[in-house]
Amino acid sequence: MLTLSNVEVKYAGVILVLRGVSLQVPEGKIVSLLGSNGAGKTTTLKAISGLLRTELGEVTAGAIEYQGRRIDGLDPEQIAKMGIIQVMEGRKVLKHLTVEENLRLGGYIRPNGEVRRDLERVYGYFPRLRNRRNAVSGYLSGGEQQMMLIGRAMMARPRLMLLDEPSMGLAPLIVREIYEIVRRLSAEERTTILLVEQNAKAALATSELAYVLENGRVVLDGPAAALAENEDIREFYLGLGKLGEKKSYRAVKTYKRRKRWL
Amino acid sequence: MLVISGAMNGAIYGLVALGFVLVYKASAVLNFAQGYMLLLGAYLFWFSKVTLGLPLVAALLLSVGAGFLVGILIERLTLRRLIGQPLISMITVTIFLSLVLEGLVSMIWGTYPLQHVTVFHDSTIRLGRLVLTTQSLLAFGLALSVAGALIAFFRFTRMGLAMRGVAEGHQIVQSMGISVRRILNVSWGLAGIAASIGGILMGGTLGFQLGLSQIGLLAIPAAFIGGLESPEGAVLGGLLIGLSESIVSGYVGNAAGVPAAFVILIATMLFRPYGFFGLERIERV
Repeated sequence: MLTLSNVEVKYAGVILVLRGVSLQVPEGKIVSLLGSNGAGKTTTLKAISGLLRTELGEVTAGAIEYQGRRIDGLDPEQIAKMGIIQVMEGRKVLKHLTVEENLRLGGYIRPNGEVRRDLERVYGYFPRLRNRRNAVSGYLSGGEQQMMLIGRAMMARPRLMLLDEPSMGLAPLIVREIYEIVRRLSAEERTTILLVEQNAKAALATSELAYVLENGRVVLDGPAAALAENEDIREFYLGLGKLGEKKSYRAVKTYKRRKRWL
Repeated sequence: MLVISGAMNGAIYGLVALGFVLVYKASAVLNFAQGYMLLLGAYLFWFSKVTLGLPLVAALLLSVGAGFLVGILIERLTLRRLIGQPLISMITVTIFLSLVLEGLVSMIWGTYPLQHVTVFHDSTIRLGRLVLTTQSLLAFGLALSVAGALIAFFRFTRMGLAMRGVAEGHQIVQSMGISVRRILNVSWGLAGIAASIGGILMGGTLGFQLGLSQIGLLAIPAAFIGGLESPEGAVLGGLLIGLSESIVSGYVGNAAGVPAAFVILIATMLFRPYGFFGLERIERV
């Protein structure tokens, strides 16, 4: 469904962030993009959804293809109308608007008559939002805001949803709820999901395929289950030592083990 | 009597202030050129009525339509490039834009007041001890209905909601497929309409002269007092300023009217920094 071929992204013409990223998102699957801070995960999502422009970023080489059509360089509004919706990191709610107003705006590109039905669908997934429908969204708790953001993306009935760090700053129980919703979305609505996460454990448990990004390059990819067993992933992203036990400070070596990525 | 004329002026201030608020809500720009857009709209009306000899309705439509276009033109030429730039740049651009507009108007039509033209029929009505002109009554009514229509548009239509969304963050609404460019165009166009109508109505009363831009100067504090995010507040602020200007001019002296408006602005900012109906900054604890 979505193919990135050797994508290079620069900010302000000089800051090279993505150095030839290639990945594929097959239709109907959940794919995660892992990596530590500054690896270029959010930039990858913004390159796909076209939001790079407002940040002076652009795709300077390579191609992004969605259902056979090239989309790099298109306006974000056009890309959204094609069915790609991004839920940005940082819980960017429209804070002075109420929950229902946020959701209605999410459905802006849909025909007017469908709004009622779409709203009901979203409230069905998130009963908590129904109770808070007239609350000013800036005052909601973090978990409620994140749910509202996913609901807002759902209102546009995307074919491909780009989720950027949905678990950031949330309590573990809420994270579990959110990932339940992600699974439901994929199973019931048949939405393809590309997930960017720091929380490697949750991401690998939910997705079918995973890519690991480091310094703007893909260094590892494969089925999520295989990656969860991979030695390097376990040491550097899951915090587990060689034998699957938590590392203790006593055992820390004085030199840093080099990542092999094989 | 003072109250009535103050209220009538106030309605017009309110309308122009509404245009100011519309622009601020959609693009977070303080459009100090609002008064000069008003001037241009008024002069274009005079031009269509007197120079082109068009009948009243046609002249109105032409100048209001032109106001809409001027608004869009300003947005496209200047503000478009300033999206995301610091606020001070935007303010500077609008201030200098006002100078350009004033210069443009003087160049085309000269600096002397133009031949007086009444917008509506010149007749008077007596209500007990009060003498009102139909001119002022119709102006009052028109200003309030246009303001009301704009407020309803903001609150009840989808595009109005989209405008409020754009005010919260350009990038956020882009991810929802909303064309920020189109929304900004419409906001500035509507502000242009509000300014033009305000200018035309005032021109009928005060005469078509360069001093009309002073109204813009008073509409801006009206917007601040009402709250920069509130269209209703802008109208109420306008009425307040109109009333106080009129009353103070009547009792203290003509020159005290305008400063009085600013005194009220300062007082309001001290006690209610966001204006009476402005949105408080949301801070989560």
